[in-house]
Amino acid sequence: MVEALLHPLNIFLFGLGGSFLIPLLYRIAKPLSAVIFVLALAGIFAVSGACLWAVYHGQPVLESFTAGSAPPYSINLRVGPWEGVCAFSVNVVALLAAWHLWDRLRQNYAAQLLFLLLIMGVNGMVMTRDLFNLFVFLEIVSIATYGLLGFDGTPAAFAAGFKYILATVLASTFFLLGTALLYHATGTLNIDDMIVHRATIAGPIGTTALLLVLSCLIIELKPFPANGWGLDVYQSASSGVAALVSGAVSAGVFFALFKLLPLFENYLILIAVSGGITFLFSNLAGLRQTNVQRMLGYSSIAQMGLLTLALALIRHLGADASMPLVVGGLFVNHLLAKAGLFFLAGAVNRPQVDDWSALAGRPLIMLIFAILLVAIAGLPPFPGFWSKWELVIRVAAAGHFGWIAVILIGSLLEIAYMFRWFKQATRTVEQGAIAVSPGRLLPAGLCAVFLCVSGYVAANLSGAASLWIFAPLVAGAFLCLFDWLPGRLKSMLMLILVLLLGMWIVGPVEGISRLFAVLLLSGGLVIASASFYRADPRLGYYPLMALLLLSIAALLRTTTSLEFFFSWEMITLSSYFLIAQARNAHPYALPFLLFSIASAFCLLAGFAMAAAANGTIDLAAFGAAGKDAWPAFVLLAVGFLIKAGAAGVHIWLPGAYAEADDDLSAMLSAVVSKVAIFGLFSVTYLAIRSEIGLDMAHVMGWVGLLTTLLGAAMALQQTDMKRMLAYSSMSQLGYIVTAIALMSHLGWVTAFYLVANHLMVKGILFLAGAGVILRTGTRLLEENGGLVRNMPFTFAAVATALISMSGLPPLAGFGGKWLLLSAMVEKGWYGLAALAVLATFVGFLYMFRLAYAVFLGERKARFEAIAEAPLALLVPQYVLIIAIFALTFFPKLFMEPVSAAIDPAFASTLVWDGMSLETIYGYWNPIPVMAITVAIAAVLFFVVWLRYIYGYRRAPTTGVTVFYAFYQPGLSRLLRPVAIAFWRGISDLTLSVAGSVRQIYTGDGQTYCLYVLWYVIAIYVTGTLIR
Amino acid sequence: MSSSIGSGTDMAGEVGLPVSQILLVTGFCLILIGLAGIFVHRNILRIIIGFSLIDTGIHVVMVATGYVTGGTAPIIDAALDKANAATNAVDPIPSALVVTAIVIGFSVTAIMLSFAIRLYDARKTLDIDAFTESKW
Repeated sequence: MVEALLHPLNIFLFGLGGSFLIPLLYRIAKPLSAVIFVLALAGIFAVSGACLWAVYHGQPVLESFTAGSAPPYSINLRVGPWEGVCAFSVNVVALLAAWHLWDRLRQNYAAQLLFLLLIMGVNGMVMTRDLFNLFVFLEIVSIATYGLLGFDGTPAAFAAGFKYILATVLASTFFLLGTALLYHATGTLNIDDMIVHRATIAGPIGTTALLLVLSCLIIELKPFPANGWGLDVYQSASSGVAALVSGAVSAGVFFALFKLLPLFENYLILIAVSGGITFLFSNLAGLRQTNVQRMLGYSSIAQMGLLTLALALIRHLGADASMPLVVGGLFVNHLLAKAGLFFLAGAVNRPQVDDWSALAGRPLIMLIFAILLVAIAGLPPFPGFWSKWELVIRVAAAGHFGWIAVILIGSLLEIAYMFRWFKQATRTVEQGAIAVSPGRLLPAGLCAVFLCVSGYVAANLSGAASLWIFAPLVAGAFLCLFDWLPGRLKSMLMLILVLLLGMWIVGPVEGISRLFAVLLLSGGLVIASASFYRADPRLGYYPLMALLLLSIAALLRTTTSLEFFFSWEMITLSSYFLIAQARNAHPYALPFLLFSIASAFCLLAGFAMAAAANGTIDLAAFGAAGKDAWPAFVLLAVGFLIKAGAAGVHIWLPGAYAEADDDLSAMLSAVVSKVAIFGLFSVTYLAIRSEIGLDMAHVMGWVGLLTTLLGAAMALQQTDMKRMLAYSSMSQLGYIVTAIALMSHLGWVTAFYLVANHLMVKGILFLAGAGVILRTGTRLLEENGGLVRNMPFTFAAVATALISMSGLPPLAGFGGKWLLLSAMVEKGWYGLAALAVLATFVGFLYMFRLAYAVFLGERKARFEAIAEAPLALLVPQYVLIIAIFALTFFPKLFMEPVSAAIDPAFASTLVWDGMSLETIYGYWNPIPVMAITVAIAAVLFFVVWLRYIYGYRRAPTTGVTVFYAFYQPGLSRLLRPVAIAFWRGISDLTLSVAGSVRQIYTGDGQTYCLYVLWYVIAIYVTGTLIR
Repeated sequence: MSSSIGSGTDMAGEVGLPVSQILLVTGFCLILIGLAGIFVHRNILRIIIGFSLIDTGIHVVMVATGYVTGGTAPIIDAALDKANAATNAVDPIPSALVVTAIVIGFSVTAIMLSFAIRLYDARKTLDIDAFTESKW
């Protein structure tokens, strides 16, 4: 009985039967029709669920025959794994859409009927194996959609609906003609038969027929530029209907294309190109959208383009084993995320992107919104991420690098406009937050939950799912559950969790990674403990912090590039969301994210090329990479350099560091920035193994030192304490990059030494800054002053840190700088060494200014009564100071493990000649090197001072402030904001191109029909040409 | 099963053309006239008529593809035994498809007309230029 009820054909029984009963029962008693509607829809859902269950549990493909005869004399329907997943996920979304639309559906029996027919039609399109039957189901879906579009009532919705009808009717006309001609050519309508006899589809009639069917399917997927009709509907339809069009209807059409793909073997590249153009241009035009639903429409169309591209490319490459992960993953990801976003847009009910600031102070809505956005952007841990990875790896393995560029550039554009939308939501404006009832939020919330589940499934499919890689997410989710606790308690909980889980995660790590793990985990915990100084609840801060710190730990444990990339993206995302929480950070969080994603995409492309060259995604294989791995090295290095804030691509850094919460800035600068350094460490093997790499390392050395110099010069110009520290951070990372670029044992020991030193120093400085800002309420250097008497401990900490950072003896920084200079001289990079000396000098200037302006000088009257910074901030600073002293006075404790960890990394062929560290210390006498450096710096300082006295014609007693003010104009003439102007130019150019592209959507239905016709002709012409 | 477009062993009438070819040409002409109607006229009702013409043209083409020159009705009875059904009878499947397609075309036209009514109510005009509020 139950089995009979769950027969696949009952989907149509429920659909058609329900549709006939609904008007009838409505006449008898109005509520009855709604009951029947719910029962029928639930029935369709249950049957498809049961079919999927049966197929999943090993039952062979479920075939249903009709009319008492076997195909091809009758229509047959099939439910295999593909059909099962597709139909079931569409039906899930249908249930959610019915819930979302319930207010409208309940009162309107015709809408119930059309809704039911639409869902049944999509199921039919998925299951049928008969071409004409496919046409009939396509028409059922279309007519039901037309009907639903007509229920929205606004003139704009009618107009958009009419354009939609014109275009789709024209397309389906071609499908009908194509079907008739295919029958003429093959003598069958059965799809399987047709595929078997596809050789008979030849000659002008067969080819025309095939291309007509193909162009109809592509048109129904709304290809650029023949898709204005779809956009208008997405914009003007109600959110629930738009979700159905974007999810269910497109799913049916896409599945039809998937099903017929064996017939289109000759046109795979044509299909892929069509998808690629759509993906790229829709995302480009999406940049200019201000209407939420229209923007989502552009995104929907783009995602369908990506799916088409992926489907055709994977089939073209013969990588059918990747099909479930790539196509299935992208499909489910888009279906759930886009439907969820449409539901959310309907629930929030703010049509303009700018008005989404109404979300402020609604943590649950923000959480759902963020999950859906991250998913649609193809970021981890959602299915889209795993699919894109697999797609890029497969495409790279075949050597089609152009496609990788299309996929990644399109994705970057999509992330840009999607997260610009999120930026509006994180803007705090003085206006009442919206109220959304939990019931309205449920469909979007469930979409988010299903995305999480399917993300795990996709991770399993890609073979990367393991407990430790998901542990950060689990910890974050766990802390989310306790987000109602008081702030300090949550901080405590977070620290304990990170300590325990972090130690467990990095337990088996060896070598350089272990050193980084010890350093970053302990440093991270110390700095994170500073959050005790704030008692406010900081909703979401602690879960994200746990996610960030544990993801860093996980990154250090990764053994494959997929795991690395996953953890890398998790670090990016958690830091983005942390930064975005700060009150004034929203203008800076978006550039931070975009540059981080651009960096990540460089990594993705680099890893994919490395995997293609190495034949494996194992990171260990980098050590044995051949000479042809150098493009991969370039991409990876560029990716890591962007993230390290190298000169030219640094513009995301100062704003993000300055506007983040004060203790978060310390974390970002001290700990998170080191992740990029770790990345550089782990991929430079590539450069070492390939001959060309060593020249590139020289380039990298220059990039590093230019960054140092530029960062120092920019720091000198700042009037804002945190911005100065941000530029200083950039400057110091430049030294480290140069040290790594040395590619010698000494260089690497130095790099690691500098990493440790910078972590401690910047941690102290940013935390001290947090204390000052807390007490005086201002970040501006000139507004502070003379705080040494009020905050002696903070001053002592700052002074220690500055001495250590500047490289003055006797603290750790001295050793670091000496090692660096020695290593450069050893390598013969004299130009770089000179640059380093100059940078050191500029560094002295700004560091002195920081200490002087804040702590020395004249104390402002209003600061007389202020107290020392709270203990919660001082304790971590002093822990770090102890570490600096340890590093200074017991360098061997530190150097030996470092040296031991680095040794195996260098083969005997390398520059390093096997000397032990002691020998180096003995061989290189630090005194002359440092004496010369300090002497040059002193001479430079003297020259600058003289110039100042001469130029100012006054006694040198005027004060430090005036001294800096004297050099300010000259310096700012020298340091024009070239990088900012460049990137702004790129952004403006992109936006203006986007503006021109979208001009083709005139809004005229006839023009849209003409585009459709042209598109069909274009496919026909190219199809016949490439044949 | 497939038929024979232009395999004119039996000439139809004095003109020397099989009826299937006449039908094909007529059908494609109708399609072209319909397409022209869609793109030449700005009035929504005329555009809808254009779509109907395309539909009709396709139906004629479909019927023509199933025609077997000199064939009889595909009913197996005393006049047509099973053995000769495949060669002497007109292919019934295109006709069956056409019946379905006519029904679909009818409902699509009905929906288009009902949209036209609503559009006219909203703007008091049937000029398609008046309905371009969503764009870009």
